[in-house]
Amino acid sequence: VYQVFENVAKKYDIMNDSMSLGIHRVWKDVLLYKMNPSPGILLLDVAGGTGDIAFRFIDYVRSVRERQLRRKLKHHQNLSWQEIADSYQAETVKPLGDSQVVVCDINKEMLKVGRQKAQHLGYSEGLSWVVGNAEELPFGDEKFDVYTIAFGIRNVTHIDLVLQEAYRVLKPGGRFLCLEFSQVNNPLLSRLYDLYSFQIIPVLGEIIAGDWKSYQYLVESIRRFPPQEEFKAMIEDAGFLKVDYQNLTSGIVAIHSGFKL
Amino acid sequence: VRCQLCLPQRALQASAALRRVSDEHKKEPAASSSQHQFDSHPTDHQPEQEPQGPRPSYTGQGGQESEDYESEEQLQHRILTAALEFVPEHGWSAEAIAEGAKTLGLSAAAAGMFHNDGSELVLHFVSQCNTKLSELLEQEQKLVQLGKTEKKTTDQFLRDALEARLRMLIPYIEKWPQAVSILLLPHNIPSSLSLLTSMIDDIWHYAGDQSTDFDWYTRRAVLTGIYNTTVLVMMQDSSPDFEDTWRFLENRVADAVNMDNTAKQVKSTGEALVQGLMGAVVTVSTAARALRAE
Repeated sequence: VYQVFENVAKKYDIMNDSMSLGIHRVWKDVLLYKMNPSPGILLLDVAGGTGDIAFRFIDYVRSVRERQLRRKLKHHQNLSWQEIADSYQAETVKPLGDSQVVVCDINKEMLKVGRQKAQHLGYSEGLSWVVGNAEELPFGDEKFDVYTIAFGIRNVTHIDLVLQEAYRVLKPGGRFLCLEFSQVNNPLLSRLYDLYSFQIIPVLGEIIAGDWKSYQYLVESIRRFPPQEEFKAMIEDAGFLKVDYQNLTSGIVAIHSGFKL
Repeated sequence: VRCQLCLPQRALQASAALRRVSDEHKKEPAASSSQHQFDSHPTDHQPEQEPQGPRPSYTGQGGQESEDYESEEQLQHRILTAALEFVPEHGWSAEAIAEGAKTLGLSAAAAGMFHNDGSELVLHFVSQCNTKLSELLEQEQKLVQLGKTEKKTTDQFLRDALEARLRMLIPYIEKWPQAVSILLLPHNIPSSLSLLTSMIDDIWHYAGDQSTDFDWYTRRAVLTGIYNTTVLVMMQDSSPDFEDTWRFLENRVADAVNMDNTAKQVKSTGEALVQGLMGAVVTVSTAARALRAE
């Protein structure tokens, strides 16, 4: 698996775009909307190599924070100039309101690409890049508010260990979110999807990234991953409560959510 | 295929945030006579001694969890109640719920259990107010039965009941327009409507309404109208202690009772008229027969 992603790292984003025809952006946006983070939330993004989720999180929190500060201003009718200046200060000093993202990935290459992207796009605050194995996270207990794993959990060897680690590092009340390929429930779409996956994606992989095998592996790992209900039961086994899933694009992708209560 | 061995493991795992029920010293009030039910919460108040056997199926757990721990619904109720104190600042929103969760020692991410738009918070509050009102009316009824207080006239009773219920809105009155708009959202209308009708039903029940004819509907429709209009008046009332609102309420209730009386009068007048006509017809026909006989 490590070598697959070493090869894949540099062209990861381009391949994502071409394979999913750009819809993966929408999927990730929906994940953030479901998360609805408020300023002050600590996020752990596992297998988040190139930082897509992390960047979206930062954007979301920043806009929520701006809205909060603006609402506070509106409330106060008679502000002195000093108070107005102070509130603008607060906006620049703490744009994220203490929120932080830790991006953890087993693969250094993916993290390198992610860091470069961050620099390129201008994300400097609130980001940390850590190398780590999802089955054995290098963090203490009860540290994070939200744990996300987007398109990463199908690549791990022991899913239950990953879920247990997720449970460990989450604070009480914390949320586990998983965005992953899942079983399509529509039979017609399912056949088209199969056709697309097995015929077109490896070809795209060869053309764009020069790597047929990795993308063959990708498609197969998607097929091997347990369906929605089974995965939900696995999450409950790890101790999460109020576990639920939401199908996107009629089951091509599903967001599973659980709470540590 | 889940293995049966997995279930006991879940039971042993201590819950991180669900409290042991025995720890709760605050007793939840006993279920009132009219069950307030709405979509997201199956039952509002569960007596704590009740075993957690019939767990809602969506959790998918085999009900093996320790019976001493509170259920998820009870935790959700606690979070929503804690969130109420943040409503004046943050409005009826997911932010208020997040702040509420934080006061209970949970992560703010727990607010993700609820809808993004704060619907559950408003519905929870309304349901709580209705329960409090029922208790108040129940206590009053007991006092009247024991002979400790006089029984009120209908219009006085209605006025007092509605005023008591509306006073519960006072701490949140600034953000109440937002709450009303949330209650009117299409996906909330079934719940909010059922809460409203059960409250009105309650009030009429304690007012001693025993009508079994069309009156049942008119009475409830009238009182619902009075309640809704008074809420609207209250939202833009700036008089000290909402005097204008109570005066408005007084007038509306008087109108309604008047209308009721008038309706009764019309009915009895109508009946009297009909009887008079019948009497006249009988008299005339008897007289005519008598004349013909001569």
